Amino acid sequence: MEEAAAAAEAVVVTPGEVLGKASQVRAGRGAYVAPHNNLVYASLTGFRRTLSPPPNSPDQRPTVEVTGHKAHGAVPEPGSVVIARVTRVTARVASADIMCVGPKSVREKFTGSIRQQDVRATEIDKVDMHLSFRPGDIIRAVVLSLGDARAYYLSTAKNELGVVSAESTAGETMVPISWTEMQCPLTGQIEQRKVAKVGG
Amino acid sequence: MAGKPGTTPTTYSPSPTTQKTRRPIFNENDVDWVRPDGRGFHQCRPAFFRTGAVNAASGSAYAEFGNTKVIVSVFGPRESKKAMMYSDIGRLNCSVSHTTFATPVRGQGSEHKDFSSMLHKSLEGAIILETFPKTTVDVFALVLESGGSDLPVVISCASLALADAGILMHDLVASVSLSCLGKNLVIDPILEEESYQDGGLLITCMPSRYEVTQLTVTGEWSTPKINEGMQLCLDACSKLAKIMRSCLKEATSTSQE
Repeated sequence: MEEAAAAAEAVVVTPGEVLGKASQVRAGRGAYVAPHNNLVYASLTGFRRTLSPPPNSPDQRPTVEVTGHKAHGAVPEPGSVVIARVTRVTARVASADIMCVGPKSVREKFTGSIRQQDVRATEIDKVDMHLSFRPGDIIRAVVLSLGDARAYYLSTAKNELGVVSAESTAGETMVPISWTEMQCPLTGQIEQRKVAKVGG
Repeated sequence: MAGKPGTTPTTYSPSPTTQKTRRPIFNENDVDWVRPDGRGFHQCRPAFFRTGAVNAASGSAYAEFGNTKVIVSVFGPRESKKAMMYSDIGRLNCSVSHTTFATPVRGQGSEHKDFSSMLHKSLEGAIILETFPKTTVDVFALVLESGGSDLPVVISCASLALADAGILMHDLVASVSLSCLGKNLVIDPILEEESYQDGGLLITCMPSRYEVTQLTVTGEWSTPKINEGMQLCLDACSKLAKIMRSCLKEATSTSQE
């Protein structure tokens, strides 16, 4: 339920509605500026919110944005952290299905690939892909770029990126013991992975 | 499908011209046609829209204009097929199909094969494709019952479905068609009127920005007739857009509660 103060300013706007003049407001998310008449229009259906500008910026126009009651499903953007499941590992590239972008899950999976030089930050030419990932592992990665037609380029070259959860050959979820090794609690077997540093 | 009792306007007939810059060539006394459903020549059917009809889709809308019933689902943005080349703007993929029971004679949808490409042309100007590079937005339209003016209803319903899916758009897209029957211009023709028409005119426009995304003219037309027809249609489009906006706002406010 909306609070009374917020409900007063929560106006529903639809695509194409005028939100203001470009000289007076800046277009935030869900809004755009039409170049031919310098008006700011909404491009989403949602609630119109006005954000005041930061006090020390040269541009003192408030930002108007439209927060969707339903924004479109998550799409991987360069720089976003994603959760993916590894599907195939070869000598140079590991393919993964991106399942979550940030905190939101995607409706239908996107394909990502991690190249040999993007697995870790040090000694990148001595990386063995089979000792870093196995098919079925859940990894946390960051999107480097849109990649090519087939896949987004992902990178795990940071301490907090890498394998988050993996199953051992015996079928149990493994426990990480160092940044390169995980151990199966049932059999005691140690398997090599590029492990993500989770927690503080 | 019972809707809420009407605070929202449901008919989008164009307003009678108050300032007459030119005497219209068709005066009301010269009548070549009497409309079977009793409407005036410049009177449109009541419009009914509902969004959120399909749960599996990212966005969807259902439209009912008299006997023409259309349902549109939008999927996306989702990954493009592997065979497609890389593109730094998004792709739009449209498909319009008829059910086998849509027409009085079973399976007559084959003469409308070009609806898919026409829907694509009318929508691609309105979607901001740069916001979803490398992905595809799929629009699937299904005509459940064909009662005349199918394509305009499909276009308007598709733009509502896109807005429901949260795809960034420049503006809503509204579409109206017009038939020329002898000396009379009739707006929003039904199936019988379309089969007798001498010429047809379809306009798709973005009313808030006053931009036309598609104009299709078929049959016999003279320039003064086209001018008058276009003015009628554009007026009806802006009224139709108001109905579409009120439908979206109602859906948003009921989902918040």
